[in-house]
Amino acid sequence: MTKYGMAINKTRCIGCHTCAYACKMQNGVAKGARWNRVLTEGCDVEDGALGQYPALSRSYLPLACQHCENPACQRVCPTGATYKDEMGRVEIDYDKCIGCRMCMAACPYNARSFNWEEPVHQPDFVYGDKDVPQRTKGVAEKCTFCKERTDRGEEPRCVQCCPLDARIFGDLDDPNSEVSKAIATRHGYQLLEEQGTRPQVYYFE
Amino acid sequence: MELFKRNKVATAVLVVLAAVGIGAWVWQLMNGLTVTGMSNGVSWGTYIIMFMFFVGLSAGGLIVASSASVFHIKAFKKVALPAIILSTVCICLAGMFVLIDLGGIQRVWRIVTGPNPASPLVWDMAVITLYLIINILYLYFMRKGAERAVTIVSRFALPTAVLVHSVTAWIFGLQIAKEGWFTAILAPIFVASAMDSGLALLLIVLAVLNGTGRFETPKELFASLAGLLATCIAIDAYFIGCELLTMGYPGASGAETLAIMTSGATAPFFWFEVIGGLLIPFLVLVFAKNRQKTGLVVGASVLVVAGVLCKRIWLLLTSFATLNIEGAPGVMGADGWSLLGLYAPTLVEIAIVVGVISVGALGFMALASKLLVPAAQTETAPAKVRAAAATDLDFDPQTA
Repeated sequence: MTKYGMAINKTRCIGCHTCAYACKMQNGVAKGARWNRVLTEGCDVEDGALGQYPALSRSYLPLACQHCENPACQRVCPTGATYKDEMGRVEIDYDKCIGCRMCMAACPYNARSFNWEEPVHQPDFVYGDKDVPQRTKGVAEKCTFCKERTDRGEEPRCVQCCPLDARIFGDLDDPNSEVSKAIATRHGYQLLEEQGTRPQVYYFE
Repeated sequence: MELFKRNKVATAVLVVLAAVGIGAWVWQLMNGLTVTGMSNGVSWGTYIIMFMFFVGLSAGGLIVASSASVFHIKAFKKVALPAIILSTVCICLAGMFVLIDLGGIQRVWRIVTGPNPASPLVWDMAVITLYLIINILYLYFMRKGAERAVTIVSRFALPTAVLVHSVTAWIFGLQIAKEGWFTAILAPIFVASAMDSGLALLLIVLAVLNGTGRFETPKELFASLAGLLATCIAIDAYFIGCELLTMGYPGASGAETLAIMTSGATAPFFWFEVIGGLLIPFLVLVFAKNRQKTGLVVGASVLVVAGVLCKRIWLLLTSFATLNIEGAPGVMGADGWSLLGLYAPTLVEIAIVVGVISVGALGFMALASKLLVPAAQTETAPAKVRAAAATDLDFDPQTA
């Protein structure tokens, strides 16, 4: 079995947001929505710093769908629109989504974005990979691990575009994959482990 | 529809409000839920609050009516009919609020063709439908005077009523992601606050019906229902107290959530509920002397209903106030990126809520005209006099 996962090297992340915007371009994510957010940790402004001068620190947390092994969103979805696919990804069938937003209440990571209105694109055309399905108003959406790209054997766009090579994508079920090795040797950890969602996105320093 | 004819002004106002509400809903369907104050940060709002509130309000009626036959409380039988009418109307409104909240109502049939049995929402839809069917059967058998059938239906009605509130609570209570919701006591709390708010609304409606001579509730029964209300308030307060203590005592993440309720964004609602919705009405109703005074009972009941509405508000919104994973820029709120969940209902939401409640009031009037025989026609002379004196549904607790 294949179980796609990702490991993100937080030490390498410089907070350039390239992954966030590459993701928007790849997936045609509309104005006001980001499937992939780069958070400045512990700060109330982006690119802020923690501590007292001169002992300042700053760290970034790139955050998107964690593609949990035990996904809270999939559990609560009334129609099965959210599902765990055979490659271990959490995906959404937009035709089945009734827009109840139960998944958004259930997700501990605030990974989901809802189409409160008909998606607005800036610039004013539908950008993105031609294989990525368009969403309409009234459905939830989120990171798909670039389903369309990974199905073609390519890496997710955020992994490909990261200028610092901070992201590693691969098969968690294969102990020899680069991602599995990074998690094993670099003490990879998951976000909000105590919630028991068992994310397939790991972080390491 | 005799009640409509007798209350022309009220009917006209309600029809206009309902029409405005329907218009607002059509506007929402055309533009999407962006016309509401909800956002990725606070993804549920007024509609879900009203959904919880009306599921709760519908409890009083069915519980009073069915305990009349389950526990052989003969006195309660007298008010079974208006109680069930109220319960039916409220559960319909609750269902309407869920549907209005959906972003893709045109795909709602998917819940029937491909339900996910792990989803509490699926079970809630199922149990609410069952509850509505039981209410309608109850009305039907009562109308026909089929005593035996009523007894049988009531055996199912009581557990279904408890289930409706529990499953509604589990929509929230099973979500580990939300600190303020994830607690085993949420279902009992929902049952308790459903009982007190439902009973309070029933008392208000009975007093109004009394005032108009449409339906006579014996004074002793009114007082004994008020006593039951006091008990329910105490149980509700006890459950909430248990939960607050468990949240606050370890001084950990639960205490942070508690701080939002006691001194943060949802504090006004929290304190109104504790003082206005639980403490004051309990102190009023705990004395038998006060329970004899219709005005005081109705006043306390209004406070209880308002208090439970406030409880629905703080319960829902407190858990949206902060994010589990913090960091700038946060999530997209209604007015841009935000580290906190910010929410205020828009005019569209308010118009829809007012419209739905107006539809409910019209529905109640229609059912009451059809099913409730005016006391003046069947009962004693004093009732006739009172019926003649009261010309409309406007109720003044001071004079009743």
